Amino acid sequence: MATTKLGFIVQRPPYKSENPKLALTHAIASQSVEIYLKDGDLVTADVAFVGDGVLNCLKNQKAMDIYALSSTESHLKNCLLLDLNVYVCKEDLGKLGLSENDIVMDAEEFGADMKVNVVPFDEISKMMEGMNHLLFF
Amino acid sequence: MKLAVFVSDYRNTVETLERLKPEKLGIILVGNGVYHATVKEKGNASPLLEKSADFYALSEDLETRGLSSSHVNSKVKVVNYGDVVDLLFNNYEKTAWL
Amino acid sequence: MGKLTIGCFSSLVGSMNLDFAVKLSAAALEKGHTVDLWVSGNATMLSIKDQRAFKDYSSLEKPLKELMGKGLTVTACEACAEARGYHKDNTMEGFKRHSMDWYLASAFDADRVLHIGGE
Repeated sequence: MATTKLGFIVQRPPYKSENPKLALTHAIASQSVEIYLKDGDLVTADVAFVGDGVLNCLKNQKAMDIYALSSTESHLKNCLLLDLNVYVCKEDLGKLGLSENDIVMDAEEFGADMKVNVVPFDEISKMMEGMNHLLFF
Repeated sequence: MKLAVFVSDYRNTVETLERLKPEKLGIILVGNGVYHATVKEKGNASPLLEKSADFYALSEDLETRGLSSSHVNSKVKVVNYGDVVDLLFNNYEKTAWL
Repeated sequence: MGKLTIGCFSSLVGSMNLDFAVKLSAAALEKGHTVDLWVSGNATMLSIKDQRAFKDYSSLEKPLKELMGKGLTVTACEACAEARGYHKDNTMEGFKRHSMDWYLASAFDADRVLHIGGE
Protein backbone atom coordinates (compact mmCIF):
# COMPACT_ATOMS: atom_id res chain seq x y z
CA MET A 1 0.00 0.00 0.00
CA ALA A 2 1.44 3.33 -1.01
CA THR A 3 0.30 6.89 -1.39
CA THR A 4 1.66 9.42 -3.83
CA LYS A 5 0.91 13.03 -3.00
CA LEU A 6 0.56 15.53 -5.82
CA GLY A 7 0.56 19.29 -5.29
CA PHE A 8 -1.32 21.33 -7.90
CA ILE A 9 -0.15 24.95 -7.82
CA VAL A 10 -2.35 27.38 -9.76
CA GLN A 11 -0.66 30.69 -10.60
CA ARG A 12 -2.72 32.03 -13.49
CA PRO A 13 -6.09 33.76 -13.49
CA PRO A 14 -9.03 31.86 -14.97
CA TYR A 15 -10.70 31.78 -18.39
CA LYS A 16 -8.15 33.33 -20.75
CA SER A 17 -6.05 30.24 -20.26
CA GLU A 18 -7.53 26.77 -19.94
CA ASN A 19 -4.76 25.90 -17.51
CA PRO A 20 -6.37 26.68 -14.14
CA LYS A 21 -9.45 24.66 -15.02
CA LEU A 22 -7.29 21.76 -16.16
CA ALA A 23 -5.47 21.93 -12.84
CA LEU A 24 -8.76 21.41 -11.04
CA THR A 25 -10.14 18.72 -13.35
CA HIS A 26 -6.86 16.79 -13.11
CA ALA A 27 -6.85 17.18 -9.32
CA ILE A 28 -10.44 15.90 -9.20
CA ALA A 29 -9.31 12.89 -11.27
CA SER A 30 -7.43 11.73 -8.16
CA GLN A 31 -10.80 10.38 -7.05
CA SER A 32 -11.00 7.85 -9.88
CA VAL A 33 -7.34 6.93 -10.26
CA GLU A 34 -7.74 3.72 -8.24
CA ILE A 35 -8.93 1.87 -11.33
CA TYR A 36 -5.30 1.94 -12.50
CA LEU A 37 -3.75 1.09 -9.12
CA LYS A 38 -3.47 -1.92 -6.84
CA ASP A 39 -5.87 -2.21 -3.92
CA GLY A 40 -4.87 0.19 -1.17
CA ASP A 41 -2.67 2.38 -3.35
CA LEU A 42 -3.68 6.02 -3.52
CA VAL A 43 -2.96 9.28 -5.27
CA THR A 44 -3.93 12.39 -3.34
CA ALA A 45 -4.21 15.91 -4.73
CA ASP A 46 -3.76 19.15 -2.79
CA VAL A 47 -4.53 22.38 -4.62
CA ALA A 48 -2.96 25.78 -3.88
CA PHE A 49 -3.82 29.10 -5.50
CA VAL A 50 -0.96 31.61 -5.50
CA GLY A 51 -0.18 34.90 -7.24
CA ASP A 52 -2.82 35.90 -9.77
CA GLY A 53 -4.14 32.35 -9.44
CA VAL A 54 -6.13 33.43 -6.38
CA LEU A 55 -8.52 35.16 -8.82
CA ASN A 56 -9.85 31.69 -9.69
CA CYS A 57 -11.47 31.63 -6.26
CA LEU A 58 -13.73 34.68 -6.62
CA LYS A 59 -17.34 33.81 -5.92
CA ASN A 60 -20.41 34.49 -8.06
CA GLN A 61 -18.74 33.56 -11.35
CA LYS A 62 -21.29 33.58 -14.19
CA ALA A 63 -19.40 31.64 -16.86
CA MET A 64 -22.27 29.19 -17.27
CA ASP A 65 -24.86 31.93 -17.75
CA ILE A 66 -22.80 33.91 -20.21
CA TYR A 67 -20.59 31.44 -22.09
CA ALA A 68 -22.32 28.14 -21.23
CA LEU A 69 -19.08 27.01 -19.62
CA SER A 70 -18.70 25.42 -16.23
CA SER A 71 -17.09 27.96 -13.97
CA THR A 72 -13.79 27.61 -12.18
CA GLU A 73 -15.83 28.32 -9.07
CA SER A 74 -17.90 25.17 -9.63
CA HIS A 75 -14.75 23.07 -10.06
CA LEU A 76 -13.34 24.55 -6.89
CA LYS A 77 -16.50 23.58 -5.04
CA ASN A 78 -16.24 20.07 -6.48
CA CYS A 79 -12.72 19.87 -5.07
CA LEU A 80 -14.13 20.67 -1.63
CA LEU A 81 -16.96 18.18 -2.09
CA LEU A 82 -14.38 15.50 -2.89
CA ASP A 83 -12.40 16.38 0.26
CA LEU A 84 -9.33 17.78 -1.48
CA ASN A 85 -7.21 20.17 0.55
CA VAL A 86 -7.50 23.62 -1.01
CA TYR A 87 -5.17 26.48 -0.03
CA VAL A 88 -5.35 30.14 -1.03
CA CYS A 89 -2.40 32.44 -0.41
CA LYS A 90 -3.35 35.10 2.12
CA GLU A 91 -0.69 37.62 1.04
CA ASP A 92 -1.72 37.37 -2.62
CA LEU A 93 -5.37 37.93 -1.77
CA GLY A 94 -4.37 41.04 0.16
CA LYS A 95 -2.12 42.27 -2.64
CA LEU A 96 -5.09 42.17 -5.01
CA GLY A 97 -7.36 43.96 -2.54
CA LEU A 98 -9.36 40.83 -1.78
CA SER A 99 -10.41 39.12 1.42
CA GLU A 100 -12.07 35.86 2.47
CA ASN A 101 -15.42 37.58 1.89
CA ASP A 102 -14.71 37.78 -1.84
CA ILE A 103 -13.81 34.15 -2.47
CA VAL A 104 -15.35 30.72 -2.28
CA MET A 105 -14.69 29.44 1.23
CA ASP A 106 -16.92 26.36 1.28
CA ALA A 107 -19.40 24.32 -0.74
CA GLU A 108 -22.04 23.79 1.90
CA GLU A 109 -24.79 23.86 -0.73
CA PHE A 110 -23.22 20.69 -2.20
CA GLY A 111 -22.94 19.12 1.24
CA ALA A 112 -19.17 19.51 1.41
CA ASP A 113 -17.48 19.44 4.79
CA MET A 114 -14.13 20.75 3.59
CA LYS A 115 -13.38 24.45 3.63
CA VAL A 116 -10.82 26.55 1.77
CA ASN A 117 -7.71 27.28 3.82
CA VAL A 118 -6.54 30.87 3.46
CA VAL A 119 -2.94 30.68 4.63
CA PRO A 120 0.36 32.55 4.41
CA PHE A 121 2.65 31.49 1.56
CA ASP A 122 4.95 29.85 4.11
CA GLU A 123 2.25 27.27 4.78
CA ILE A 124 1.85 26.63 1.07
CA SER A 125 5.62 26.12 0.93
CA LYS A 126 5.33 23.54 3.70
CA MET A 127 2.55 21.82 1.78
CA MET A 128 4.83 21.69 -1.28
CA GLU A 129 7.61 20.18 0.83
CA GLY A 130 5.28 17.38 1.81
CA MET A 131 4.29 16.46 -1.74
CA ASN A 132 5.95 13.78 -3.84
CA HIS A 133 5.54 15.78 -7.03
CA LEU A 134 4.56 19.34 -7.91
CA LEU A 135 2.50 20.42 -10.90
CA PHE A 136 2.56 24.15 -11.63
CA PHE A 137 -0.29 25.44 -13.75
CA MET B 1 13.25 19.82 -0.77
CA LYS B 2 15.61 19.59 -3.73
CA LEU B 3 13.83 21.44 -6.49
CA ALA B 4 14.72 21.89 -10.15
CA VAL B 5 12.89 24.86 -11.62
CA PHE B 6 12.60 25.17 -15.38
CA VAL B 7 12.45 28.79 -16.53
CA SER B 8 11.24 29.00 -20.12
CA ASP B 9 10.47 32.72 -20.45
CA TYR B 10 12.62 35.81 -20.39
CA ARG B 11 10.38 38.81 -19.77
CA ASN B 12 7.72 37.12 -17.73
CA THR B 13 9.45 37.16 -14.39
CA VAL B 14 7.93 34.47 -12.34
CA GLU B 15 6.89 35.72 -8.94
CA THR B 16 6.59 32.21 -7.60
CA LEU B 17 10.28 31.58 -8.22
CA GLU B 18 11.20 34.52 -6.00
CA ARG B 19 9.24 32.96 -3.17
CA LEU B 20 10.45 29.39 -3.39
CA LYS B 21 13.04 28.62 -0.73
CA PRO B 22 13.95 24.96 -1.13
CA GLU B 23 16.92 23.49 0.63
CA LYS B 24 18.56 23.01 -2.78
CA LEU B 25 17.50 24.95 -5.85
CA GLY B 26 18.51 24.34 -9.43
CA ILE B 27 17.36 26.71 -12.16
CA ILE B 28 17.36 25.16 -15.60
CA LEU B 29 17.05 27.77 -18.35
CA VAL B 30 15.27 26.42 -21.40
CA GLY B 31 13.45 27.99 -24.34
CA ASN B 32 13.53 31.77 -24.07
CA GLY B 33 14.68 31.35 -20.49
CA VAL B 34 18.22 30.93 -21.85
CA TYR B 35 18.35 34.71 -22.42
CA HIS B 36 18.71 35.05 -18.64
CA ALA B 37 22.12 33.44 -19.08
CA THR B 38 23.30 35.73 -21.87
CA VAL B 39 21.59 39.12 -22.06
CA LYS B 40 23.14 42.10 -20.24
CA GLU B 41 20.54 44.81 -20.06
CA LYS B 42 22.29 48.14 -19.46
CA GLY B 43 25.41 46.12 -18.78
CA ASN B 44 23.84 44.08 -16.00
CA ALA B 45 23.29 40.36 -15.84
CA SER B 46 19.75 39.10 -15.32
CA PRO B 47 18.56 39.62 -11.71
CA LEU B 48 17.53 35.98 -11.80
CA LEU B 49 21.20 35.02 -11.59
CA GLU B 50 21.44 36.73 -8.18
CA LYS B 51 19.37 33.96 -6.63
CA SER B 52 21.09 31.39 -4.50
CA ALA B 53 20.88 28.48 -6.89
CA ASP B 54 22.77 26.31 -9.32
CA PHE B 55 22.15 27.53 -12.86
CA TYR B 56 22.03 25.54 -16.06
CA ALA B 57 21.22 26.55 -19.62
CA LEU B 58 20.21 24.14 -22.35
CA SER B 59 22.81 24.18 -25.13
CA GLU B 60 20.30 23.21 -27.82
CA ASP B 61 18.11 26.21 -26.95
CA LEU B 62 21.12 28.55 -26.82
CA GLU B 63 22.30 27.44 -30.26
CA THR B 64 18.77 27.64 -31.68
CA ARG B 65 18.83 31.35 -30.75
CA GLY B 66 22.27 32.13 -32.19
CA LEU B 67 24.01 31.93 -28.84
CA SER B 68 26.95 29.85 -27.69
CA SER B 69 28.78 29.03 -24.47
CA SER B 70 30.94 32.13 -24.95
CA HIS B 71 27.85 34.31 -24.42
CA VAL B 72 26.86 32.57 -21.19
CA ASN B 73 27.37 34.09 -17.75
CA SER B 74 30.04 32.29 -15.75
CA LYS B 75 27.50 31.35 -13.08
CA VAL B 76 25.64 29.20 -15.60
CA LYS B 77 26.66 25.73 -16.68
CA VAL B 78 25.75 24.80 -20.23
CA VAL B 79 24.05 21.39 -20.41
CA ASN B 80 22.43 19.22 -23.06
CA TYR B 81 19.22 17.18 -22.91
CA GLY B 82 21.05 14.14 -21.57
CA ASP B 83 22.54 16.24 -18.80
CA VAL B 84 19.08 17.55 -17.91
CA VAL B 85 17.87 13.97 -17.51
CA ASP B 86 20.81 13.24 -15.20
CA LEU B 87 20.15 16.39 -13.19
CA LEU B 88 16.51 15.39 -12.71
CA PHE B 89 17.30 11.89 -11.58
CA ASN B 90 20.50 12.50 -9.62
CA ASN B 91 20.45 16.03 -8.22
CA TYR B 92 16.81 16.98 -7.60
CA GLU B 93 13.69 15.32 -6.22
CA LYS B 94 10.97 17.57 -7.59
CA THR B 95 10.48 19.83 -10.55
CA ALA B 96 8.56 22.99 -11.37
CA TRP B 97 8.03 24.42 -14.86
CA LEU B 98 7.37 28.13 -14.47
CA MET C 1 17.03 3.22 -14.05
CA GLY C 2 13.96 5.25 -13.20
CA LYS C 3 10.63 6.33 -14.53
CA LEU C 4 9.98 9.84 -15.80
CA THR C 5 6.44 11.08 -16.32
CA ILE C 6 6.14 14.20 -18.43
CA GLY C 7 2.85 16.06 -18.73
CA CYS C 8 2.60 18.72 -21.41
CA PHE C 9 -0.36 21.05 -21.92
CA SER C 10 1.00 23.36 -24.64
CA SER C 11 -0.01 23.40 -28.27
CA LEU C 12 2.09 21.55 -30.86
CA VAL C 13 1.94 24.50 -33.25
CA GLY C 14 2.48 27.84 -31.57
CA SER C 15 4.67 26.70 -28.70
CA MET C 16 7.89 24.73 -28.57
CA ASN C 17 7.16 23.07 -25.26
CA LEU C 18 6.15 19.83 -26.94
CA ASP C 19 9.38 19.86 -28.93
CA PHE C 20 11.17 20.12 -25.57
CA ALA C 21 9.08 17.32 -24.06
CA VAL C 22 9.78 14.97 -26.97
CA LYS C 23 13.52 15.71 -26.99
CA LEU C 24 13.72 15.21 -23.22
CA SER C 25 11.81 11.93 -23.61
CA ALA C 26 14.34 10.82 -26.23
CA ALA C 27 17.26 11.67 -23.96
CA ALA C 28 15.71 9.83 -21.01
CA LEU C 29 14.96 6.73 -23.10
CA GLU C 30 18.50 6.83 -24.45
CA LYS C 31 19.75 6.60 -20.86
CA GLY C 32 17.57 3.58 -20.19
CA HIS C 33 14.78 5.26 -18.24
CA THR C 34 11.09 4.53 -18.73
CA VAL C 35 9.13 7.51 -20.00
CA ASP C 36 5.40 8.24 -20.00
CA LEU C 37 4.27 11.33 -21.90
CA TRP C 38 0.81 12.72 -21.13
CA VAL C 39 -0.68 15.43 -23.34
CA SER C 40 -3.69 17.41 -22.27
CA GLY C 41 -5.44 20.63 -23.27
CA ASN C 42 -4.03 22.10 -26.48
CA ALA C 43 -1.18 19.57 -26.44
CA THR C 44 -3.61 16.87 -27.62
CA MET C 45 -2.94 18.29 -31.08
CA LEU C 46 0.15 16.07 -30.96
CA SER C 47 -2.05 12.98 -31.26
CA ILE C 48 -3.46 13.73 -34.72
CA LYS C 49 -2.05 11.55 -37.48
CA ASP C 50 -0.84 12.60 -40.90
CA GLN C 51 -0.19 16.23 -40.04
CA ARG C 52 1.59 17.82 -42.96
CA ALA C 53 5.15 18.72 -42.08
CA PHE C 54 6.08 22.27 -42.98
CA LYS C 55 9.44 23.73 -42.02
CA ASP C 56 7.73 26.71 -40.37
CA TYR C 57 5.68 24.63 -37.93
CA SER C 58 6.64 22.12 -35.30
CA SER C 59 6.08 18.61 -36.59
CA LEU C 60 6.72 15.71 -34.24
CA GLU C 61 4.97 12.68 -35.75
CA LYS C 62 8.17 11.17 -37.13
CA PRO C 63 10.35 11.44 -33.99
CA LEU C 64 7.39 10.43 -31.87
CA LYS C 65 6.85 7.22 -33.83
CA GLU C 66 10.55 6.42 -33.51
CA LEU C 67 10.37 6.95 -29.75
CA MET C 68 7.23 4.84 -29.45
CA GLY C 69 9.24 2.12 -31.17
CA LYS C 70 11.82 2.50 -28.40
CA GLY C 71 9.24 2.13 -25.65
CA LEU C 72 7.82 5.62 -25.12
CA THR C 73 4.22 5.56 -23.90
CA VAL C 74 2.24 8.55 -25.13
CA THR C 75 -1.29 9.22 -24.00
CA ALA C 76 -3.72 12.02 -24.78
CA CYS C 77 -6.52 13.29 -22.59
CA GLU C 78 -9.56 11.89 -24.34
CA ALA C 79 -11.96 14.65 -23.29
CA CYS C 80 -9.51 17.39 -24.29
CA ALA C 81 -9.04 15.72 -27.69
CA GLU C 82 -12.74 15.16 -28.33
CA ALA C 83 -13.51 18.77 -27.34
CA ARG C 84 -11.20 19.82 -30.16
CA GLY C 85 -12.65 17.42 -32.72
CA TYR C 86 -9.68 15.05 -32.54
CA HIS C 87 -11.35 11.68 -32.77
CA LYS C 88 -10.03 8.16 -32.33
CA ASP C 89 -10.04 7.43 -36.06
CA ASN C 90 -7.81 10.45 -36.57
CA THR C 91 -5.30 9.49 -33.88
CA MET C 92 -1.76 8.38 -34.61
CA GLU C 93 -1.23 4.63 -34.35
CA GLY C 94 0.11 3.69 -30.93
CA PHE C 95 -1.05 6.94 -29.35
CA LYS C 96 -3.29 6.07 -26.38
CA ARG C 97 -6.31 8.04 -25.18
CA HIS C 98 -7.52 7.97 -21.60
CA SER C 99 -9.23 10.08 -18.98
CA MET C 100 -7.21 12.43 -16.77
CA ASP C 101 -6.73 9.87 -14.03
CA TRP C 102 -4.25 8.07 -16.31
CA TYR C 103 -1.79 10.92 -15.80
CA LEU C 104 -2.14 10.71 -12.04
CA ALA C 105 -1.72 6.93 -12.16
CA SER C 106 1.46 7.39 -14.18
CA ALA C 107 2.71 9.88 -11.58
CA PHE C 108 1.93 7.35 -8.84
CA ASP C 109 5.01 5.22 -9.49
CA ALA C 110 7.13 7.80 -11.32
CA ASP C 111 10.49 8.69 -9.84
CA ARG C 112 10.28 12.13 -11.39
CA VAL C 113 7.38 14.13 -12.80
CA LEU C 114 7.90 17.13 -15.06
CA HIS C 115 4.67 18.99 -15.59
CA ILE C 116 4.85 21.52 -18.41
CA GLY C 117 1.77 23.69 -18.22
CA GLY C 118 0.25 25.49 -21.16
CA GLU C 119 0.41 29.16 -21.89
